[in-house]
Amino acid sequence: MLELLHEWLIAPFDYGFMRRAAVAGLALSLAAPPMGVFLMLRGMSLIGDAMAHAILPGVALGFLLAGFSLPAMSLGGVLSGLLVAMLAGSVSKMTGHREDSAMASFFLISLAAGVMLVSLGGSSVDLTHVLFGSILAVNTTALLLIAAISSVIVLILALIFRALVVECLDPLFLRGQGMQGSLVHGIFLGLVVLNLTAGFQTLGTLMAVGLMMLPATTARFWSKRLEGLIGTSILLGIIASLGGLLLSYHLSIPSGPAIILLAGVGYMLSALFGRHHSLMAKLRRRAAPLGAPETH
Amino acid sequence: MAEGQTSRLELVDLQLAQANRTVLEHVDGRFRDGAITALVGANGAGKSTLIQGIMGMLRPMAGKVVCSVPKERRAWLPQQLALDLTFPMSVEELVMTGSWPSHGALKGYCARHYRRGREVMARLGISHLAHRPLGELSGGQRQRALIGRTLMQEAELLLLDEPFANVDAETVEVLMTVLHEMAADGVTIIVVLHDMEQLARLAEEVVVLHQGHARWTTAQAVLHSQPTAAESARLALGIPGVGAC
Repeated sequence: MLELLHEWLIAPFDYGFMRRAAVAGLALSLAAPPMGVFLMLRGMSLIGDAMAHAILPGVALGFLLAGFSLPAMSLGGVLSGLLVAMLAGSVSKMTGHREDSAMASFFLISLAAGVMLVSLGGSSVDLTHVLFGSILAVNTTALLLIAAISSVIVLILALIFRALVVECLDPLFLRGQGMQGSLVHGIFLGLVVLNLTAGFQTLGTLMAVGLMMLPATTARFWSKRLEGLIGTSILLGIIASLGGLLLSYHLSIPSGPAIILLAGVGYMLSALFGRHHSLMAKLRRRAAPLGAPETH
Repeated sequence: MAEGQTSRLELVDLQLAQANRTVLEHVDGRFRDGAITALVGANGAGKSTLIQGIMGMLRPMAGKVVCSVPKERRAWLPQQLALDLTFPMSVEELVMTGSWPSHGALKGYCARHYRRGREVMARLGISHLAHRPLGELSGGQRQRALIGRTLMQEAELLLLDEPFANVDAETVEVLMTVLHEMAADGVTIIVVLHDMEQLARLAEEVVVLHQGHARWTTAQAVLHSQPTAAESARLALGIPGVGAC
């Protein structure tokens, strides 16, 4: 039995590419799900998807200019993501339209521009790599970059954590303290872009957002508290990353989709059997008698 | 304001506008330290605009707001709808956020903060709700929690926008007591009110906003010049009676 477990769970990590993929997955799982929790709480769950498309033209341009150079592609991705976020914000401010409509317009333009750029300079294999990533191909340079970006995200998130919480809950309280809510919002969107840039090498620009949003939306079925949501989402991210890698290894299936699909299975099971708001929770709902102690 | 009384908040020939339309102009006056001042006026008279101007969120077109209260000691309690009630936060956590403007956004809370948080909740009668999510509270309970945040903030200037709207009678009593205690401690309190009875019980001074101008008067003057029900209704609608100001 132990031998079987070792063969299934430990032995695959004897390979260097699996170890690097596991570390990359762990680094992303620490940084991405907390961002997803805040996106979800701000009613911006789909903005992550839009931003994932927004980094594509920059990644493609980096690829065209420097080939498969991760630093060049990452830098391009960050710049184009920030540019699109700023343009969407400016257009929304200028026209008075909601930010999501401007974002939707820009992300479609970005997606088309990105695909066009990659197609002009490379083959369909390159396009697939940029769109869907390749976690098993992560080398030491890529791993260092992913770990560094994830560390920076976690640190900055810790720095702006309270301001972010207050901005979500009661933006007027933040403004009353002389802090610009738009500054906090801008830093937060910048972190989302950074996060997606770190994720595109492993999961691709299109699926990097999956590791951000799915653990966060799944956590909502298990906790009602902010720290609970963040902790649970990180745990779910780690399980999805490692589990997806193992499934990919044993079943010979693509690793990126395996990770995101495993997170998706977690979401669906939680929607059925989770502690809060799930189908099961609704069926077993009972009112506590008067005078019963508070449950936390 | 009588001679010799101190004031940390003064409006000097203030002109405020919203979307390039002047809402208030030539507003001159001082708010006495430790006094509760009611802000009355019809819808659109400029109550919220004046509050935004005082809080520094709206840049004056002319004149200025002279306020010596540091930003971290200024609190504004807007109407409840400004809160995102789906956000997963408990009553205790909301009350504790009052300490971060002065304590700093980076440092964690220490035992002193938690002790003070518990005292504040006990004072407002919401200790038993400490771990209850905000979304599960009644309007009155939520308003107590928000006042708790300003107590935690040790506010020296407190602006309240219709604090008794949609709250139960018991909460009104608790909040009245707490506001009187805060004023006795020297806090300058400005409160938007529509109810004559609440104005009589709470405020000493009144600022009436009418047709773009502000007039300072006392609650006594307002009450004695408007004794009838019809006049009360006029004030509730924010229409100052003849000779009220």
